[in-house]
Amino acid sequence: MNAPATERFVVPIGPQHPALKEPGHFEFTVEGETVVDATVRLGYAHRGIEKGAEGRNWTQTLYLIERICGICSHIHSTAYAVGVEQLAEVEVPARAQAIREIICELERVHSHLLWLGVAAHDAGFDTLFMYTWRDRETVMDILETMSGNRVHYSANVLGGVKFDLTDESAVAILKGVEFLEERTHHYRKVVSEDAFFLQRTRGVGTMTHAEALALGVVGPTARASGVARDVRLDAPYVAYADFPARIQLLTAGDLEARFLARLDELLDSFRLIRVLVAGLPAGELTAKRMPRKLKPGEVISRVEAPRGELFYYIRSTGGEQPDRVKVRTPTLCNMGSVITQTIGHNLADVPMILVGIDPCFSCNDRAVTVRRAGDDNGRAWAWADLRRYGIDYYRRIRN
Amino acid sequence: MNQTQSYLARAEALLEPWLAKTERPTDNRLDIWLSPDDLLPVVATLVAGEWGYLAAITGLDPGLATGQLHVLYHFAEGAAVVTLRVATPRDAAAVPTIRPLIPLAAMYEQELIEVLGVAVIGAPERGRLFLADDWPVGVYPLRKDFQPEQLDKESVP
Repeated sequence: MNAPATERFVVPIGPQHPALKEPGHFEFTVEGETVVDATVRLGYAHRGIEKGAEGRNWTQTLYLIERICGICSHIHSTAYAVGVEQLAEVEVPARAQAIREIICELERVHSHLLWLGVAAHDAGFDTLFMYTWRDRETVMDILETMSGNRVHYSANVLGGVKFDLTDESAVAILKGVEFLEERTHHYRKVVSEDAFFLQRTRGVGTMTHAEALALGVVGPTARASGVARDVRLDAPYVAYADFPARIQLLTAGDLEARFLARLDELLDSFRLIRVLVAGLPAGELTAKRMPRKLKPGEVISRVEAPRGELFYYIRSTGGEQPDRVKVRTPTLCNMGSVITQTIGHNLADVPMILVGIDPCFSCNDRAVTVRRAGDDNGRAWAWADLRRYGIDYYRRIRN
Repeated sequence: MNQTQSYLARAEALLEPWLAKTERPTDNRLDIWLSPDDLLPVVATLVAGEWGYLAAITGLDPGLATGQLHVLYHFAEGAAVVTLRVATPRDAAAVPTIRPLIPLAAMYEQELIEVLGVAVIGAPERGRLFLADDWPVGVYPLRKDFQPEQLDKESVP
């Protein structure tokens, strides 16, 4: 990268990595160190799930929907189940709704901890990565105790939930939450005080309130820029009206704020989980009857996934199968901001800006080719090389 | 009047000239049927009036018998959702682009172009964002007359 500042290079990132899911492809055009243009190509993991839903009955589609995401499987099935229940005019018992909410929050905990580890790794802070992933096992164990599964908990059925909160699970939850809360306070201190880490986050990738609104970002990414939107509060679903979350707003809008917003959300999730376990309503786990055939109609179901608002549009033409299930995931909203934000930043900041939106992230490790624009004789980089480049760049300017 | 109803009332006041055909499917929703020509002024009015945000665009095939495709623009504010519904003829499906007003719409419009075959007038020609590079041209998976056999014919990128 010793080219004169006026010379442009295109840095394609992605799309493949054999070990990981959900790949994406970016092309960053750089002038010297500075990114001047960026494009994205998605779709490598397009599996035709929306079309697949049209050929399955309402119940089968629930299991298909759950497999959209390997990190937030429960929130997808919740959005779908809530929508279908509204179409069927089925009342779900309060206990079932509260259990759904507990799992929503446990899922947020596991997702945010996973993200914190990946983000720390991209900043070159592997100790933090190892610690957060070790701690994340606590919440994975809780989910396994409750449901029998670590990832696809499959808690929802149409009209309720499959399993109750047993005394054994309640004890495991409270014990785990106590441990994780203490750890999260520690991590919050680390990301807001460690000078080397702050060099990678403070004032980097800043998105003002106005920019966040214009770009249409959602979730913690938006709330770190002061956008007061959280579907859990704006349009409460499952039991969020009775057991409300508290919005976690920051105003700085930089990467540091995005770290703090998610850590603050973790702390609120711990509070909320305790409240839910203590105040779990008595009652049944499923509705008395869930019809197999639904009458014609359409419904919009919005929920707050760990990454932001998840939007479902479900249409029935009458019968046993959905006519259309439209899914708009939060990463799609936030992806556009990566393209805009990286422009004007150093190439070294790209990994952190990308990680800042918490893209569905198992696809972190990619191949990178650096080549001169219009010239095919490139040298290949892996995502790990770009990450290393970022870390070395900041080490150099530090010295 | 609760907050959701006041949001919807404000939307109705803003969009007063275009309320010829509306529905209230649920308490928190307002659906407005529009001709493709009215789409831009309506979106511009919502944006200028700072009413909510574009939550999603849904492309919909209501069946061969209707001879139409529908495009639904969902705007959300709090729990309130305003859906702008645009019908376009199936054999010449087209809607104007709204991305000069809402840049984020580019992602949603691209999906519409690729999976439902609705032309978005004013959208720059670009490569595919969602479907595979070797997916056959002119085959739209979310149309009801889509047959998997269509994928067997030689694909032309």
